[in-house]
Amino acid sequence: MASKSTSPSAALLNDSIKSLVSKHLPDDYKRVTDDDLYRHSSQYRHWSYTVGHLREKRIETNLKAVKLIQAKLQKFIDEQGDNISQSELQTLKSKAVPLTMEEELKLVNFYTKKVQVIGKHLNLPTEVIATSITFFRRFYLEESVMKYDPKELVHTTIFLACKAENYFIGVDSFAKKAKSTKDEILKYEFKLLESLKFTLLNHHPYKPLHGFFLDIQQMLYGKVDLKYMGKMYDKCRRKITEALLTDAVYHFTPPQITLAVLIDEDELLVTRYLQMKFGKPEETVEETGTEIVTPAKENAQKEKQEVKQEVKQEVKQEGEKSEQNGKPEDHPNTEKEEEGAETKQEEEEEEAEVPDGKDENTIELDKLMEQIMACKEMIASMSVVSTQDAKLIYAKNYYCQYPDIVIQKLKRKQEQEQEQVGSESKETTEEVSPMKKQKTDV
Amino acid sequence: MSSSSQFKQLEKLGNGTYATVYKGLNKTTGVYVALKEVKLDSEEGTPSTAIREISLMKELKHDNIVRLYDVIHTENKLTLVFEYMDNDLKKYMDSRIVGNTPRGLELHLVKYFQWQLLEGLAFCHENKILHRDLKPQNLLINKKGQLKLGDFGLARAFGIPVNTFSSEVVTLWYRAPDVLMGSRTYSTSIDIWSCGCILAEMITGKPLFLGSNDEEQLKLIFDTMGTPNEATWPGVTSLPKYNANFQQRLPKDLKMILQPYCESPLDDTVIDLLHGLLQLNPDMRLSAKQALHHPWFAEYYQ
Repeated sequence: MASKSTSPSAALLNDSIKSLVSKHLPDDYKRVTDDDLYRHSSQYRHWSYTVGHLREKRIETNLKAVKLIQAKLQKFIDEQGDNISQSELQTLKSKAVPLTMEEELKLVNFYTKKVQVIGKHLNLPTEVIATSITFFRRFYLEESVMKYDPKELVHTTIFLACKAENYFIGVDSFAKKAKSTKDEILKYEFKLLESLKFTLLNHHPYKPLHGFFLDIQQMLYGKVDLKYMGKMYDKCRRKITEALLTDAVYHFTPPQITLAVLIDEDELLVTRYLQMKFGKPEETVEETGTEIVTPAKENAQKEKQEVKQEVKQEVKQEGEKSEQNGKPEDHPNTEKEEEGAETKQEEEEEEAEVPDGKDENTIELDKLMEQIMACKEMIASMSVVSTQDAKLIYAKNYYCQYPDIVIQKLKRKQEQEQEQVGSESKETTEEVSPMKKQKTDV
Repeated sequence: MSSSSQFKQLEKLGNGTYATVYKGLNKTTGVYVALKEVKLDSEEGTPSTAIREISLMKELKHDNIVRLYDVIHTENKLTLVFEYMDNDLKKYMDSRIVGNTPRGLELHLVKYFQWQLLEGLAFCHENKILHRDLKPQNLLINKKGQLKLGDFGLARAFGIPVNTFSSEVVTLWYRAPDVLMGSRTYSTSIDIWSCGCILAEMITGKPLFLGSNDEEQLKLIFDTMGTPNEATWPGVTSLPKYNANFQQRLPKDLKMILQPYCESPLDDTVIDLLHGLLQLNPDMRLSAKQALHHPWFAEYYQ
């Protein structure tokens, strides 16, 4: 403190200042953990749900749009008055039907995949593609595909993701590369921002992957082939992007997803790592010597602590989340179905929350593994939506919004039938047409 | 979601990095707000600076960071509704100038402001966000003596990679020497340097290093802090704009430099803190958290 600032040896001075200051960090110095930070993030506050709550949310979004569509249909029928024939009415009833929640979800998943493909095609960094995927899926939690054609949001989402990730592309060159137009890209930009609740900062699992990766290499130093690890890392990065296409992102935290992806890639290695790290001493003894307890550097120790803490608290969060999300916006009628699954999850999580007694940071390996496996399963359960399926849903979406076209089609069909006994195939190809037309734009 | 009709636009408060700021009144609650208006006639849709600021402000909820309440969209503009603050540090210090003589703030106020500045900054850094444009104009204050970081138009999140920042950030006077010498790998230490400059400025009432271009800025810094070399700052000679012909200077006594402009006697603790913040070598600079635990702040953390 009394150090003379005129001291010629600046280096010495520097040292003295640093040591002096670090000395004054109190022992009980409150370090903000990564979990505290995550809990403050908008990703956790706004975009994490229990299984039941997510389903409710989708049902709600779907229902809102269905009501609108039905009102529009009724209005159309009323306007037609006597002009509408019985057979036309019948056709409307069977063809102009709003999408179900499941159908909406399929269409969203199909177009999310498109977002990913286009992002790759545009050579965007992995993180920008990840953000695009995230934005797109979040948007359709809030809005229905019956109100906002997913095709129209694809480029808007990618362009906004570029801005949010600080990856600058001018709108003109973006439009050119994406074979779109400036107006199309910007048309729904604000709508998108608004539906995203202006929360644009994402925590993707790539960073935890990097962290776990370094830690695995250190913990199993000399026991893992670095070349193999390199390959594994690349594969895991790709798998993480795939995981972002699933609902796992709404129920699990980034490190949990990372571990699920890691364990899917090499179960033996990762299980061993987790046992060493979080297993009880007797479990780990057989695996390794003193490595765990005496890390080479103090820094490394600190880092480990962080990862450890992170995972634990994340397990915790899920529990809190269920409580938190359970209260508002509960729809008693939709609640029932999911209740069983949800409470089960909550119980597990609450149990996991109970600290170990001695060491607050200790994670219960069993609970952790359960979480990881559940996450892994959820990622694996994602089924690919076939183009054929998507086309049919897209057509259905189109017809429920344009009843007049359904009627026109019926009339044309009847005319054709009168001229020649028509073939069924004609109808199916025509039905797909709206999607086809727009596939070329994408 | 608010609508624009909910707010009555009052006088203009100033210009931000990419927008005009007005005082506003929330007609339903009677609460004053700051309305930051972003024109949308730009070619690119919502400007990416606005996107970035919104994105970061949505994550930063802290007593010493100005709050973003809402975002409103009208036909051709976007309005960011911020917490209203009475004044900014620049205007406040200007208001204290007597004739041509600047006057520093009372030391207890300097300490309270500096503490809050570091608290807000520590929170940013914990959240992996760099402010990158700290200067008295961006530090908002109110009559209660609260200080809050504002204008995150140049801020950015710093995950990996950290080496792709443009060097064209931070108003010249508060710009760190490593940045001035073209370092592109800077991190949180860039904000710490600015904090040091601001601390000195609060004490004296005038900017510490008043350069008018990069070269002059560096020269002024070296005149006071000494010219760095490989011994004092390993790696400095490999920075893009390092010049072997920099005039060789020895560090001066900061106390001697600042005391003439300060009415009350400066103690060694605050000078020590200044040294910790104004280290030429970015790796040697204190972190915001460390600075908060400096003995000068003992009365706050005990």
